[in-house]
Amino acid sequence: MAVAATHVGGGIADHVHPEPQGFIRRYVFSIDHKIIGIQYLITGFIFLVLAGLLAEVIRTQLMNANGGFVSNNTYNEVYSIHGSAMVWLVVIPLMTGAFGNFVMPLQLGARDVAFPWLNMISFWMFPVAGLMLFSSFLMGAPVAGWTEYPPMSLQGEAGTSMWCAAIFLVGISSTLTGMNFMVTILKMRAPGMTLTRMPLFVWAQLATAPLSMVATTALAGALAALFMERQFGVPFFDPTKGGSPLLWQHMFWFYSHPAVYIMILPAFGMISEILPTFARKPIFGYKMIAFSSVTIALAGFMVWAHHMFTSGLAPFMQLPFMLLTFVIAVPTGVKIFSWITTLWGGKIHFTSAMLFAIGFVVLFALGGITGIFLASVPTDLHLHGTYFVVAHFHYVLVGGSLMGIFAGFYYWFPKMSGRMMNEALGKWHFWLFVAGFNGTFLPMHWLGFEGMPRRVAVYDPQFQFWNRVESVSSYVMTFAILLFFVNILVSLRRGKKAGPNPWKARTLEWQIPSPPHYYNFKHVPTVYGLPYDFSEPLPYRGLDDELNDAPAPVPAGAH
Amino acid sequence: MAVASLPNQHVEHAEGGVDRFYEETRDLRLTGFLFFLFSDVVLFSAFIFAYLYLRNSGQSWPPPGIARLDVAFAAWNSVVLFGSGATMHYALENWKHGNFNKYAGFLIATIVLGIAFLGGQAYEYTHLYFVDKISWAGSGIFGASFFTLTGMHGFHVAVGVVYLTVLLLQSVHGVYTKEKYFGLTAGTLYWHFVDIIWVVLFSIFYLI
Repeated sequence: MAVAATHVGGGIADHVHPEPQGFIRRYVFSIDHKIIGIQYLITGFIFLVLAGLLAEVIRTQLMNANGGFVSNNTYNEVYSIHGSAMVWLVVIPLMTGAFGNFVMPLQLGARDVAFPWLNMISFWMFPVAGLMLFSSFLMGAPVAGWTEYPPMSLQGEAGTSMWCAAIFLVGISSTLTGMNFMVTILKMRAPGMTLTRMPLFVWAQLATAPLSMVATTALAGALAALFMERQFGVPFFDPTKGGSPLLWQHMFWFYSHPAVYIMILPAFGMISEILPTFARKPIFGYKMIAFSSVTIALAGFMVWAHHMFTSGLAPFMQLPFMLLTFVIAVPTGVKIFSWITTLWGGKIHFTSAMLFAIGFVVLFALGGITGIFLASVPTDLHLHGTYFVVAHFHYVLVGGSLMGIFAGFYYWFPKMSGRMMNEALGKWHFWLFVAGFNGTFLPMHWLGFEGMPRRVAVYDPQFQFWNRVESVSSYVMTFAILLFFVNILVSLRRGKKAGPNPWKARTLEWQIPSPPHYYNFKHVPTVYGLPYDFSEPLPYRGLDDELNDAPAPVPAGAH
Repeated sequence: MAVASLPNQHVEHAEGGVDRFYEETRDLRLTGFLFFLFSDVVLFSAFIFAYLYLRNSGQSWPPPGIARLDVAFAAWNSVVLFGSGATMHYALENWKHGNFNKYAGFLIATIVLGIAFLGGQAYEYTHLYFVDKISWAGSGIFGASFFTLTGMHGFHVAVGVVYLTVLLLQSVHGVYTKEKYFGLTAGTLYWHFVDIIWVVLFSIFYLI
């Protein structure tokens, strides 16, 4: 304490706990947000590989109009688990669990999240839930798609109940993470960091956390009801017993539409960090980007029924949902234009991270535009349940979220590992991925317009040519992701030392060593302004000591 | 926005009290606990929405062949639960004023009233099952929504009774002081939360 008191404005180390030395406490049941973030990252990538292989089963089956690679029932199981795993085990945990955990407390100038133990518990629910989800293959996996609409999901085999339990568990994990992040961001910012001085990635996490907290809990209710109906015969959704299949759709989409924003808002935040750094130019419209994230999050709760235009929704309900959905395009457009204006006149460095960020803006915008087609009732009546929908959500989830994850990974890998990624491999990864991605999903737009239905194992032979183009392209995309993993392994061993700030970025996490010390900051900095004014000195005080080799003093009384 | 601009009032804490940003303070715990309660409200809301949706999709309520619920009994049982909310309030107030004996008395009264409420609910369930032949899975959407929601609530009361008992034992063993008693605040908030949920459930099942 005596040491602490001498350092004015430093707020030293009273609650820096000594770093645990045993392997288990340090790397397995760690309570350090950085380790937990990396655990999320590794686990999420493992599930990305598994769910990606399922995608290749789908594409291989669709090489031929009459299928033949797997049985029709297996095909149904495969796309159901592919979708569920990609949404709940890959994109959401990577966006919030991995990048949120690793980056957000560093950018806040905090020493950890608000509840480190809770954070560890949330993480460990996630791999368990993942194993449960994949184990459903052993008992007859769900066959009604990732949305599991009754009555089909009521007739599914035992694996469907396992699916409910798995998604319930991973949902609890994400709810707890959301609470943890809310408290962290609201209560643990460094002195001087007002809400309007927070980096935009933190703003994105602040908009995402309440979605994880509220929407995921509502989904938990729906899953519990489905589980009870399947296991104990308690009627909620079965129309023959007075239940309503539409009720499930309401409850499911009340969660799953906000979940779309859980999957994309953190990526918006990453892009808002990466673009100014590599354009060497302040972000354009800081407040507009920050507030548009919040607007999107709020409006996201009022549009769920646009997924149900063909389900027998009353016509007077359709119009407000259609208009509200159009309204969401406005804050999204604000972001896109702010990013383009940030690039305008900048001195752009085309690193791999920047390529993925620019690719994100282009491909996400395409996915957003097709979203407007689907939000409009007359067009949706034609397009609902076709490959057009598949094209739309893969453009926003792969071209958007996954590209964002890659951009963020290339950007923060040096901070996590202390080494640089290989840029040549990174560029191969980018170009092959973009080529393969567009080859896979672009033809789906016109296939959908021509009426090719989604979720079927065989299809009309007139669609075979474009399906073959898609399948071959999807192998290119898989090869690109393979290059990505090779790049990670090579760079971890042979990568150039990164140093504290290889990108000359200005947010707080780049002002400390890479990888950061266990205690993050020796002295808690004071923040005087936004991190994006590239021509100005850094808006922080109290960071002078951070790059010295001497460890942070730990007071004798610390436990 | 520029570097020269003055830092805001947060920095005033910087000289003496920065550490409070990095400690798991009462403030952090309270905020986190309120967020937890909020998401629990959402969980109840999901089922309440389901109940109202299903109720409005049929022609009559209660559905044909199902008797109306016994409002009078449930009303008396509600009085028991709301009374426990009052005793919980006085328990916390007495703790704040250092009257340990009164605190313990009111807390024990709360626990007893909570158990009494659960007993009343158990009586109501058995009556419905054996006399009115209404069950969870066998009585259509009525049984499903009624037993699921009131059962969820009863589960929360049961958890609360256990939690309050633990708090009682902890305070007897000196875990809490007159200044640091977050566990008691959390217990009180939780118990009031359970009360408020019951106000909603009582209204939508028995009154409308």
